[in-house]
Amino acid sequence: MNFSHFNRRLHLYLGLGLLPWLLLYGISAIPFAHGQFFQKRDEASQVPLWTVRLEKTYDAPVPADATALRAFGRTLLREVGVTEPNFGVNRPNRNTVNLYAFSFRHATRVTYTLDQRKVKVEDRRFRFDQFLTGMHARGGFEQDSLLSQSWGVVVDLVSVALVAWTLSGLYLWWGAPGPRRWGGLTLLAGAVAFMVFTVCL
Amino acid sequence: MSSTLIRRLHLYLALFLAPWVLMYALSTLVMNHRAGIHGRPAAPWTKERELTYEGSFPPNAGLRDLSRQLLDAVDLDGAHSVNKRPDGTLVIARNDLLVPRRVTYTPATRQLVVERTELRPAAALERFHRRRGYETGYLLDTLWALSVDVVIVALVFWALSGLWLWWELKATRLLGALGGLAGVAGFAAYVALN
Repeated sequence: MNFSHFNRRLHLYLGLGLLPWLLLYGISAIPFAHGQFFQKRDEASQVPLWTVRLEKTYDAPVPADATALRAFGRTLLREVGVTEPNFGVNRPNRNTVNLYAFSFRHATRVTYTLDQRKVKVEDRRFRFDQFLTGMHARGGFEQDSLLSQSWGVVVDLVSVALVAWTLSGLYLWWGAPGPRRWGGLTLLAGAVAFMVFTVCL
Repeated sequence: MSSTLIRRLHLYLALFLAPWVLMYALSTLVMNHRAGIHGRPAAPWTKERELTYEGSFPPNAGLRDLSRQLLDAVDLDGAHSVNKRPDGTLVIARNDLLVPRRVTYTPATRQLVVERTELRPAAALERFHRRRGYETGYLLDTLWALSVDVVIVALVFWALSGLWLWWELKATRLLGALGGLAGVAGFAAYVALN
């Protein structure tokens, strides 16, 4: 197998193996790019997005530093029976702690109001556009579970694959004598358009 | 004929959109490693210009009218958001891709301050990735939003046309089917378990 053959196979098999992700990132970009349309469409249904699952008295000191706050959040979620494997926690002011627990299909938010000693748990109704955008935006290595971290690795793999498809595609184009001239013009036109956007946007 | 057409469209779309694909790939890497790459504090604002604004505003002008007039006065008209503080000060965030600027107008003193942040490649890539939508009302942003839609269509087309082109290569059918099946199974497992 020479390099040209290897390059052609790499282009193909990477595409086949990562096909679901390619489709995911393509299709899920639609609700991002046209967010207002999906938002208005959902608001027209007049069905509340969030439903209160639980409200109860809660009183616990909130730690100041970020690492301890995350540990506090983990404990709080366990105590109110939220089982989503991933979560984020923030303290927008001294009186409030917000938690957002999520999986690909579900999302739950927990609000702890310190002065009222109250915790509220709300579940988000399933929305297909939010399911897509949630998958699209998912990444990083901040979550505890191995499965979530491995998704971060897959995101890296897809990014590297996008670069590999571009470079191997350029090599394939250059190796095919027919479309060189028109291909070169197309490549140049794309590069110029992108430069204009970069400088002027 | 249809195969040739699909192959050519697959190729030429990719050649034209190669910079977009590379930008989305690199910015995704940056965002996926945000904590490590640019977890440091946000870039500080540096004063670029300060002047007294001598112009007057039309009566009953909306917030966007005011911000556009002020941005125009400092040659920075373009995509932006604007906020009005309780004391009447207008704070305009000019969404420049490379070097974002903040324009602050204090009505009491008519003072106009233009500040900029330093160029940080990781943050600029992330701004690129997140730029979208037709709402700004600026032609260049509308064209950019259109290009994002073209990339979306292209991603789906590359996936589907890639399948078509693979099916035509009899030698790769078995291994390709196994690879494709493994990908679908892996993806389904993530959706079900994560």
